[in-house]
Amino acid sequence: MIAPGRRPYTPANVGTWATMTAAVSLRGLEKSFGALETIAGVDLEIEAGSFVSLIGPSGCGKSTLLRIVAGLETPSGGQVLVDGEPAVSARRHKRVAMVPQHPGLLPWRSVRANARLLLDVNSKANGPTTKDPIELLERVGLGSFLDAHPHELSGGMQQRVALVRALALGAPLLAMDEPLAALDEITRAEMRGLLNQLVEGHNVTTLFVTHSISEAVALSDRVLVSSPRPARIVADIPIDLSRPRPDDVDDDAHFFDLCTQVRHALLKGAE
Amino acid sequence: MSRATRYVAPVVGLVVFFAAWELLVRALDIRPFVLTRPSQIVRYMFRFPHDYFRAALITMKHAALGFAIAVVVALVIGAAMAASRFIEYATQPVLTLIAVTPFAAYIASVKIGLGVFSDKPVVFIVALVSLPAFAFAAADGMRGADPSSRELLASVDASRWEVLWHLRMPSALPALFTAAKYNVGLALVVAYLAEGGTGGLGQIGSRAIAGNQGDRLWAAILSMAILGTISLILLNVLQRAVMGWHVSQRSDDG
Repeated sequence: MIAPGRRPYTPANVGTWATMTAAVSLRGLEKSFGALETIAGVDLEIEAGSFVSLIGPSGCGKSTLLRIVAGLETPSGGQVLVDGEPAVSARRHKRVAMVPQHPGLLPWRSVRANARLLLDVNSKANGPTTKDPIELLERVGLGSFLDAHPHELSGGMQQRVALVRALALGAPLLAMDEPLAALDEITRAEMRGLLNQLVEGHNVTTLFVTHSISEAVALSDRVLVSSPRPARIVADIPIDLSRPRPDDVDDDAHFFDLCTQVRHALLKGAE
Repeated sequence: MSRATRYVAPVVGLVVFFAAWELLVRALDIRPFVLTRPSQIVRYMFRFPHDYFRAALITMKHAALGFAIAVVVALVIGAAMAASRFIEYATQPVLTLIAVTPFAAYIASVKIGLGVFSDKPVVFIVALVSLPAFAFAAADGMRGADPSSRELLASVDASRWEVLWHLRMPSALPALFTAAKYNVGLALVVAYLAEGGTGGLGQIGSRAIAGNQGDRLWAAILSMAILGTISLILLNVLQRAVMGWHVSQRSDDG
């Protein structure tokens, strides 16, 4: 069963995806820090409502690409559009919700207050699609921790608050920078299931940066494979696993095939 | 360590200290002006309890007002220093100059300038002397705000004021409280030395010196010690109330 507003990305419909409204559009994106070339000519269209992972070796420029899409970094060349507007303007209008690698919760704010942090600042830009953070916290199982402070939570719980903080914005694009990297294996698996539940059926576009092949395959509609620095997209692999994704998706034989495909693309890109 | 031990041990320490002081003065027959016996100081204080209480309140007012002004000014200067390297480099030498210049040297000039019998020069000097530690603490604390939280706020285009209010100021609290604990004693010393003609324990102390009254002088000194202790306790209570989230404020019993 496919969640409303979503459909699997398959080689057969690649052509139609390209003609649909792109939530993120990168044309000839380049980025250099002084003499260091980080991103070399990336062209990319991400369809609204899809979950796209970007995977690549350490230091290849994945996070820089994400920061450019989030309007936090200026590209050296090329064009970046988020929901039809330049990334910097999208940032001003709160059209991008970031989930950083470390939860970045403010230790002096309660769980409830942390979850509404992004709504509290630049509040005049809050759109009509904002969500009630308390409701979301209850949905992720933190209803009884509303008044707790971050130091009273486990790493997984903190990351759930960070996720709620981003989702509460109701932004059309969710930009996630290895949000599960610091978690243990069991918590990662739980968070993966939770992420799938939260984004499926919400018509939110997700750009997910990760190091983990299995995570990328389990969550995504497409996996983009980056070369070592300077980043180029060397493979664009559709993930045609059905949705909603079951928690034991990684037991599926096709899941293994897809992971192998991504791994080969990574190795080939590194050559 | 049990809770009882934590409260009993300091009391034992103080009792031993005062007993040793009492015995030393008696054994060596030290002149009261040089060192008065604790029992004699307490007896003198209880002869004039209202005078000392009133004077202590005046000294407390001078120190607290100067302290509060220093914190407010330091937050403004600290925020500017954290926001601009130019302002930081321009401000650093001025703050250092204030910190290293002995305040006792310019007390008379400030008092003549602002009014010998007025509270203003006392409060002004307390604020001035407390300012450098607060300003450096505020700047360091604000600049040390978590970079990933800064980026998170930038990702929704938070204004400078919002970043200051939601992130930088709370981040500066631990450093500000450390500076406050250092400054509280300093503020009381400055108030004591700058008083004279304004009431306060400093006035009692200076008159006792002029009149060669050892017990009166030492009663003022003990009052200052009590005032300093109360101030530190209040500061700790305030710190626990506003910084309960910080690792330094969590119980170590577990």
